[in-house]
Amino acid sequence: MLELKKIYKWVNNGNQRVFLLKDINLTIQEGAFVSIMGPSGSGKSTLLNVIGMLDGFNEGEYRFLGESVHQLKEKQRTNLYKQHIGFVFQAYHLIDELTVYENIETPLLYQNVKGSERKAMVADILDRFNIVAKKDLFPAQLSGGQQQLVGIARALIARPKLLLADEPTGNLNSRQGEEIMELFTQLNKEGTTIVQVTHSEKNAAYGNHIISLLDGMIENSGIQN
Amino acid sequence: MFRNYVKIAWRNILNSIGYSILNVTGLSIGMCVALLIGLWVHHQYSFDRFLPEYQSVYRVQRNFNSNGDTLTFPTTSLKLADALRTQIPEIQYVAESDWTRNHVLLVGTKKLSVNGATAGTDIFKILQHPFIKGNADAAFKNAYSIVLTQSLAKSLFGNEDAAINKTIRFDNAHNLTVTGIIKDVPSNATFSFDYIVPSSFVYATNPQIKTDGLSSFSNNNLQIFVKLKPGVSYEQVAPKIRNIEHTEKGNINAMNSYVILQRMDRWHLYSNYINGKDTAGFLSYVKMFSIIGLLVLIIACINFVNLTTARSDKRAKEVGVRKAVGSQKKHLIIQFLTESFLLTTAAFVFAFLFTLLLLPLFNTFTQSHISVPAGSFYFWLAVTGCLFLITLLAGGRPAFHLSSFNPVKVLKGFSPTGQSSFSRKLLVIIQFSCSVALIISTLIIYKQIQYAKNRPSGYSLNRLMTTNMNDDLQKNFTALKNELISKGIASSVTTATSPATDVWWHSDVDYWPGKNAGETIEMGTIQVSEDYFKTVGMKMFEGRDFSNAYDSTSVIFNETAIQRLRLKNPIGQKITWHEKNYTIAGVVKDALMVSPFKTADPTMFFCVAAPQGNLLYRLSANTETQHSIVQLTSIFNKYAPAYPYEYAFSDQQYATKFNLEQLTGKLAALFASLSVFISCLGLFGLAAYVAEQRRKEIGIRKVLGASVRQVWILLSKDFLLLVLISCLIAAPVSFYFLHKWLLNYDYRISIGFSVFVLSALLALLVTIVTVSFQSIKAAIANPVKSLRTE
Repeated sequence: MLELKKIYKWVNNGNQRVFLLKDINLTIQEGAFVSIMGPSGSGKSTLLNVIGMLDGFNEGEYRFLGESVHQLKEKQRTNLYKQHIGFVFQAYHLIDELTVYENIETPLLYQNVKGSERKAMVADILDRFNIVAKKDLFPAQLSGGQQQLVGIARALIARPKLLLADEPTGNLNSRQGEEIMELFTQLNKEGTTIVQVTHSEKNAAYGNHIISLLDGMIENSGIQN
Repeated sequence: MFRNYVKIAWRNILNSIGYSILNVTGLSIGMCVALLIGLWVHHQYSFDRFLPEYQSVYRVQRNFNSNGDTLTFPTTSLKLADALRTQIPEIQYVAESDWTRNHVLLVGTKKLSVNGATAGTDIFKILQHPFIKGNADAAFKNAYSIVLTQSLAKSLFGNEDAAINKTIRFDNAHNLTVTGIIKDVPSNATFSFDYIVPSSFVYATNPQIKTDGLSSFSNNNLQIFVKLKPGVSYEQVAPKIRNIEHTEKGNINAMNSYVILQRMDRWHLYSNYINGKDTAGFLSYVKMFSIIGLLVLIIACINFVNLTTARSDKRAKEVGVRKAVGSQKKHLIIQFLTESFLLTTAAFVFAFLFTLLLLPLFNTFTQSHISVPAGSFYFWLAVTGCLFLITLLAGGRPAFHLSSFNPVKVLKGFSPTGQSSFSRKLLVIIQFSCSVALIISTLIIYKQIQYAKNRPSGYSLNRLMTTNMNDDLQKNFTALKNELISKGIASSVTTATSPATDVWWHSDVDYWPGKNAGETIEMGTIQVSEDYFKTVGMKMFEGRDFSNAYDSTSVIFNETAIQRLRLKNPIGQKITWHEKNYTIAGVVKDALMVSPFKTADPTMFFCVAAPQGNLLYRLSANTETQHSIVQLTSIFNKYAPAYPYEYAFSDQQYATKFNLEQLTGKLAALFASLSVFISCLGLFGLAAYVAEQRRKEIGIRKVLGASVRQVWILLSKDFLLLVLISCLIAAPVSFYFLHKWLLNYDYRISIGFSVFVLSALLALLVTIVTVSFQSIKAAIANPVKSLRTE
């Protein structure tokens, strides 16, 4: 599905070059469930952002579904990730001023999906996530677990091929975290490729491919079956 | 404690230096405008109030009943002055005066043409200008005397001590002795002059003037000042003087005149009489600009309120912590008010400097003489009072809003800003309603001026020049005329009792065919020499021009006059004027001699052989003006060596008729652009704040696939909506006031839809530009950065 080749990313601090990512080579197959692990500051989130095309890189090649991401223009890149990638954040990042329904609907607005179709799609996912009753509530009226559920629903609404999750359970208690992980596993079985960043060994174990990062380099990469 | 407040306030100001600059800039511009207008308004109100006992000084006016319409004239007769002096015991002093004109004063080789008046002996007992040398009682004992102002004495004699009892050659004809020196007449005096010569001098040198003046109430060519006895009110005098002219039975003009008085402090502001009452005038402009000044200040204060409350979430945590450690609400209020007082004071310092810097410019702009009364205690008292008021006005709301935060909530990270966003929007709407209304007003005022300027004046003022007649020119008029024409300098030369751009004399037609019993029609009256119509370029509508200089039994009316007289076939009809019969020889097309905004005055022209007071001559085509003036100077100096050659171009005189409107237009444009600018400063700050506040949301939306354009629209549309609402409010409000303003003019534009659309588009465009800077900046920011902050 995607392939990173010799990815370097750095920032210049004075005359010193600080590497955020160093010589990253990574291939993720369609249908994989990848967990990225590593201590704070090891470059997990940066790598995820690079994969999600939110962040650029200084050197290397990135191919996504056969397209050379590093050669695309901003607009084409936006179109590419808008269609194929969904994001889930540790802090949920729901829009406080919008209801649950409206939050979930937002990505469809940006993809110019027609009104009736939008309605159907949102209704479908509300139903699937069992949050129909909450559709008119605002984020502040939900618990953390429920907010994250909405965040995931929003990430999935446009039926992306790849789901990127940055510590999706970081702000949740363990029971809520487990439920989210169960959900990810379920989604993965249904065909969604998932890449998650996590601190927790336990959550990492839900995946079938664990990548350990240290100081911006891949320390360990193992595919489990 | 207070030091601590100041310190914290200072740090906060420095910390958010961008906002502080926006705040102070907006507020200081607002204050500067308010200060300038305040000084200007104060100056207008100070008119004629500087003399002792001004409250018992009056000017005589005549209400004239013209077929049911009451017209008010300030022109009066010597006979009226005499009647008031002898018949009304409540009146202490009466002094008649002419309307001031330039005379030539000669001292040694120094020859100056200066503006002065001839006035009755008691003039300085009524207008009690302080004497530096001499006194009001003794000044005019001798007819051949003159009282100078301090600065004229200086320029004629070097200093005022040298001037007293010296001799001045007056108009190259008589010697006058300087009997008094008064302080200069201040710029806020309605009746302004550089010297006064007693009327007794005029009567001594030309006794006929006195005989004529005393013979009839209709010989109205003077103004009269009176002072009432102490303790006498106008109400006591009014009934006695009202019908004082009615003793002259058989004089229709006098029988229809009602004498009234206008108190000195109303001369300047209540200059217009409507239906015989001084209800209007310059005051309406003074009021209008007071309101505009206040509006600009309020717009600036709104900026302050909006920017401060908008940033309150930045301060929320501080409030929470302070409350948690025991601060009471009142401490916080004092703290925030201290902060706003500091900013207000800073803004005032800048405003004061701007004002000092701009005052000369403002003075030329408004043709006034305003200065900052920096030495006046009351000025500083007023300024301090205003500073406290503005502090409360601008800082009060934010102070109470911020200090009311619940500490537990704000410390938990609750953002309290949402609550005030409605009132913030309301304030923005108020700001932009005012700004848009000012834009609309500016456009309409300019359209009205342009409309009147493009109006055909009915005659030709291009290359037409005027010179005041003097004794020497009068004697040599025929020679002068011949020389000007034979040398090809002027194509045509004439004289008249009025200049080309005004009518100085109004009188009644005593009889005309079809006149109703008791009917009176007051008409502009101009006595002219040969070639008048040719010189000023008026075309005959029907009939003929005066046949020659001695065509003294013919009269020519303009079209409006014929309509008033209701004459169907005017040519050849007989009328009576001043007890003499005239035949209507012709009708001339209307010319806008008085006002380009009104219909032409009904006017009649009589031909006289003797040259009149205004010399009118048109420069020949294809001559260079500068060269012509050199030639004119030498010719005029030849025929009138004692007088400096002075001239005016009639088209420039005509242009001064637009002065008040043009001033209004310029000031409205200035204040409109300033208020738009201040509003935009506020909007700029708000847009920055909103972009900052919605940073996270923008990040999320971008991650979800929103394009730069979509985010830009998202952030800008709220502001555009507010401005659009403002336009909808401003349009009917400004329509109401401008429609009322336009009713002042007979010749006016109709307010079209396009002005409102244009103003709205302008406001929206300015808004888009202002807001876009911030919203595009927010839209192109990398979402990763904004989301990482969590």
